[in-house]
This record gives sequence, structure tokens and C-alpha cells, in this order.
Amino acid sequence: MDFDAIVVGSGITGGYAAKELTEAGLRVLMIERGRNIEHGSGYVTETLAPWELPFRGVGDAAAYEHDYPVQMKNRHFTEFTQNHFVNDRENPYTTGDGTDFTWFRSYNMGGRSLTWGRQCYRWSDYDFGANKRDGHGTDWPIRYADLAPWYDRVEAFVGVSGAAEGLAQLPDGRFQPPMALNVVEQHVRDAIGKRWPARRLTIGRTANLTQAKDGRSACQYRSICARGCSYGAYFSTQSATLPAAMATGRLTVITDSVVEGVDYDPATCRATGVRYLDVATKTHRRATARIVFLNAGAFNTNHILLRSTSAAMPHGLANSSGVLGTQIMDHASTVSAIAMMPGFEAHTSFGNRPTGIVIPRFGNLDTFDGDGFTRGYSYQGGAVQSGWTRGKRGPGIGTDLKSDLRAPGPWRMILVTFAESMPRATNRLSLDPVRTDAQGAPALKIEFAHGHEEHAALADAKAQAGTMLSAIGGQVIMGLDQPGPGGASIHEMGGARMGNDPRDSVLDKWSRAHDVANLFITDGAQMNSSACQNPSLTYMALTARACDAAVSMLREGTV
Amino acid sequence: MADVAGPSRRDFGKAALLLAGIVGVPVAVLRAVRVDASERQRTIAAEVAQIVIPRTDTPGGADAGAHDFLILALAHGLDGTRAPQAGAAIQGAYAMARGSGGAPDYLAWLETTLDRRTGGDFTGATPAARAAAVGAVDADAFATRDSGSPWVKIKGLLLTGYYTSEAGGARELRYELVPGRFDPDLPLAPGDRAWSSDWTAVEFG
Repeated sequence: MDFDAIVVGSGITGGYAAKELTEAGLRVLMIERGRNIEHGSGYVTETLAPWELPFRGVGDAAAYEHDYPVQMKNRHFTEFTQNHFVNDRENPYTTGDGTDFTWFRSYNMGGRSLTWGRQCYRWSDYDFGANKRDGHGTDWPIRYADLAPWYDRVEAFVGVSGAAEGLAQLPDGRFQPPMALNVVEQHVRDAIGKRWPARRLTIGRTANLTQAKDGRSACQYRSICARGCSYGAYFSTQSATLPAAMATGRLTVITDSVVEGVDYDPATCRATGVRYLDVATKTHRRATARIVFLNAGAFNTNHILLRSTSAAMPHGLANSSGVLGTQIMDHASTVSAIAMMPGFEAHTSFGNRPTGIVIPRFGNLDTFDGDGFTRGYSYQGGAVQSGWTRGKRGPGIGTDLKSDLRAPGPWRMILVTFAESMPRATNRLSLDPVRTDAQGAPALKIEFAHGHEEHAALADAKAQAGTMLSAIGGQVIMGLDQPGPGGASIHEMGGARMGNDPRDSVLDKWSRAHDVANLFITDGAQMNSSACQNPSLTYMALTARACDAAVSMLREGTV
Repeated sequence: MADVAGPSRRDFGKAALLLAGIVGVPVAVLRAVRVDASERQRTIAAEVAQIVIPRTDTPGGADAGAHDFLILALAHGLDGTRAPQAGAAIQGAYAMARGSGGAPDYLAWLETTLDRRTGGDFTGATPAARAAAVGAVDADAFATRDSGSPWVKIKGLLLTGYYTSEAGGARELRYELVPGRFDPDLPLAPGDRAWSSDWTAVEFG
């Protein structure tokens, strides 16, 4: 099989690359390691009620502990969504001594685009300039101006609803109309803004449509996105990029096929294609192409590169620098405050809004004002009116309990912090020397720990969250300042970082390998710093930009 | 409790087959865990379910099969119920025997505790005495933070069993899979029922 381009992976960035490259006229092969899930008909639990599932949506804990011991720790993993997550037992990885990493994965068509949190935030030059400014990591070879037109392009296709706020640290995008704040969130926005003018609560910018587009319906306010949405109201490979790419007639899709390595020709210093295992038949196959895009998900892209050794590249493909696999990041996150919000007992809402709120970063902007940290954090969360599950927390039985739980309960405001993860050489991926995966390949070994900067940021975030909510009428009932294990934010990234210098980075400013002129890596592996925003929108913008560059290079004959 | 129907094991089987058919989960996996409840324990669980959520203008806990869900949930370790007891709970009134799989035996604890609270035979006690016993167990369990009482998990699973049943979720509360719109600020009138389909509210309590 010979193609113009091979795209490895069908998630957020793989789907996007397939769309951009096919629309530019290329014949593209997209390879997905997992099974196919058809848009609509493949979302088999989408319309079920809890009483139609054997474990009422909670799921079979005994089976999960056997097959999904890691995935079950994901709050989006339920009996409704379990079929969108990877079987941990069949797909092992290892962690360094004394470290933990919860690696949440979806090995299926669409990857994690089916279950993602859908939050879409632009980076600013506070982010692209962060490494240069405080000396951690290496400088990004691009700035906001390089990516802004690609954010425009991607947002227009994805369909991002949100409110323009004019904040330098969180640039506005091309938004569909925003979803509304509920009454408590509106109060919190107004009251915090009055006392702290630089702190702005705004509705989450989310890849849920508020206006129909491209054959996709507007959001129905179910907020069961991770089951799959046959309305196509949130952006996923299945709802958006796959149909666009298929419509060109130039996309070939292979599922159930695990890429085992990128083939490299030392004579031309080019990738010639990929080799992959057809899982059903256990047959090893090859496909060839003029360019290769790796979009396997940040860590699996690293895994493929580390496994793609040859006499010319004994330490892994595109690794002449020796930094491949290092500087991996996530975000350090925790629940910084939950506060009772009295005074709104006579108010309620209707419908399930599929996004929360965000309070963008307000520290370490034009001056370093963080105590023990130089980067940013921001809050996400929202105001929630308690449901029947509050009955589990306190005393009461009988008609009084039943009567109480019949009505909506008190309002609470929840603030969850996402703090920037620092690039560190000691946080790294490698091939496990002993353990192998189901196909007999070396398992990926993850060594990761949050450092003092992340802990300092979360300590500050807890203090600020408590101060803010207390000052505006909230009664803080709990708050945490310790992050979950690495991976808990499901923003794992890095390992094949972008940089100016081939001696200390893997990719150039076009997301192209310094060492291999026709190899592009446009998933989270390319990240050089983490910012504190949810990263998928930036991955997609970088992907669109890299695709455009790759097509130009092909036309000019330079790759 | 003769009027309490208990068909939910059959319903579970139906739902298991449905799930197996649609998502490919082997039924063998779903059935692999032995349900370890004596008939007396099952009777007690049903009675307790109906005491915690009585029948009013909508069905009660046992009417909705909340006790069957409790027994299934304990057999499969939902809500951490297979985890060994820790801390002070290992001693005293909250200590649990180990069941056949080595996990703490919540149903045996419930049976023993309620029998003790009713002078030796919970099932033979008057309705008022049974309700008083359950009320006392509940009050003790929540008298202190982290009391270690097994009742906290039992009650939680009974509530889950009830409010995720059709009777609890769609008759006692309201259920709307497709709201179709979001109204951010509505007046809450007395008697307005909560939505069991408000997934965020359910998740965060």
C-alpha cells in the first residue's frame, strides 16, 4: 500500500491531520490500533437509563479491578462509558519505583476524542514565552502570532462556544454563542470581579455546539457526551473530522492495527512508511508514504519512536539529541475548594450544561508574584445544586429522608485547579527492559513526579480559592492542595519537544523531526511546556499548521 | 414484607444480557462473582430498604428492589466494599466477619447488629421496633465523622439502588434524557422534584 501520507492514530489530532491532508489533495492512510466505533450506531449505551444497566451505571467494580484497574480511576469511566476505554490488563505499562502514573487511554476509532472534556483554550505569549522567561526547559520556536490564524481556522471548524473576555492571558477565539452561567455562577463572577478586577469567572469554552453546523446538531443539554453523541453536538473524530476526510474520497482507514515502528531509510534520511501488526490475523504488514504523521497520543507516539531503532538510529527514531522521551508533563490538579453557597434556595436550573466555568490564570503574569512557583494555574468547576446522592453523607431515614431528597438540595461552588507542570529531564518515558505488552513489544515505562513548583502552585490555589469564596458569601467545607498522581489531569504530553536547536529538541517549529525531514509529530508529544490550559485545541492548531507546512514542502519537493 | 416483590435478580439478568450483547462484555464475567446472601439476610435487607425509603405516593426501597441491588453491589465490591476494614472499625461493634471471598461480610454484620438491637430477632420484632433499630444504627453511624460503621456503605448502596431504579429515578424523582435546552435560573417552587438525570448533581452529591 502506498500513500501520500500516513497518519498514525485517529484521535483528536490524527483525525484533524487526516482531514487537513485529504482536503489538501493528498491520499491518506489513517491507522487506528483499536476497534472501529461508528458514529451514532456505535454509541451503544447512549440512550440507556441507569435501570437498564446491570450495575445501574456505577459499573461492576469486581470486573473493573480485574480489567480496568487504572481506567476505573477516571471520573468519566462508568458503566455507560467503559467501552470507550482501554483494557489495562491487556495493555500494560510500568512506572518507576516509588512513582505512580494513571495513564487514561482509549484504543478505538476516535481515541479520546470520544471522551474528552471538550474544553478549548488558546495559549498566549505568557505560555509560549514561559520557558525562556524563567529558564526551565528550552524556548519555544514559535509565539502566539504564529499560531493565532490556526486557532481561528480550527475553532471555526470544531465549533467552540464561549464568551469573549478580552484577557491577554487567555485570548478570545472565534466562538459560537456562549452557554449561560447559572444564577450562582453569575453571582460568583460579579462578586469576585468587583473585589478582584483581574480575576474573571467565565463560562467554559467548550467544543459543544450552540448553533448547528456541518450537519451536526446543536447541544441537547444532556451532558452525557462521553457515551458518544449521535447528534454530533460535540467535536470528535467521528462527528467532525472523519466525515470531512471521508468526503474527499482520499482517506483510507485501517482499524485493529498496531503500528510497531516507522521505517527509516538512512540513505535518504527519510521515513518510508510504517510497519504494523494486524491484530485480528496476527499478520505483520507495511505501508509506505511520502510523509508520516504520528498522532498516536503523546506517550504512544514516544513509544513508537523509541521502538523504531535501526543501525542508523540506535536510540530511537529522530533521537540524535538524546532527549526523546524526556520532559514529559501533565497538569497538577486537585479540588481547591468546595463551598456552600447560601441565599439561592429559591433558584434552580433546567437542563444539563456540558461545561463548567473557568477562572483564567491571574498570577505570575507581568510580574512574578507566586510564592515558590513561576508559572500559572487556573480554576475550573461550577456551581452545582445537590442531588439525591447527598443522602449518603448524613443521618436520616424514612419519610423525612425521602421527602428531603425529593427536592434539589443546596447549591455548592466547586473550584478545581489545573496547575502548570514544569518540564523536567527526570520525568521521562523509556522502554521497560523486562515487561512486554500483548504483542510482545517492550512495555512503556513511565517515570513521573510532580515537583515543588506544582505543589507551591496548588497550595496558593487552595488559599486563594478559599479566600475568594469566603469573601463573597460562601462557606468553604473542604479544599485540597495535593495533586493526584501523574496522568490524573489526562493532559499527559511532551517527550518529543519542539525547539530551535536539534541538539536539545526533537521537532522543529513545523512539528517536523529535526532528524527526519518527512516525519511530523503533532499530538501532545511535541509540547515543550504545558501552560495550564486544557491542551487539545493547541494540539489541533499545531496540527493544522503542520499539515499546511507539510503540503507546501511536498509541493516544493523539499521533503 | 410479603407484599414486597423481589424480581430484580431476573431484571439484572436481563440487563446483563443486554449489556453483553451490545458492548461485548462476556456474561460469564458478570456472573463470575457469587452472590453470598442467605434468605434471611435477603429478607432483612428488603425490610431495611423499605424502612430507609418507605412507600409513600411512590414505591419504597424494597418495592423498587433496592435490596437486590445492595446484595449484588456487595457481591461485586461496589463503593469499595471489598476493601478490608481499616482503623478503629476493625474492633468493636463495627468489626465485620469475612465472607466466602475474604471480603468483609456487610450482610452478616447487618443481620447480627439488627438482631441485637431488637432483642435477638429483627424479623420477629414489631414494625416500630424494626424502624427504631435501623434509626439507631443510622444515628450511630453518622454521630461522628468517619465512624467506621458499615452502615454508611449499606445505606449509600440502598440509596443508589433506589434512585437509579425506574421507580426512584423516574417516578419519585424526574428523569429527562434529552432536556433540549438549558435554563440557567428558574424559580424553585415548593414540591418541585429534583432530576435524577442531572448527572453532575448526582456525581457531586
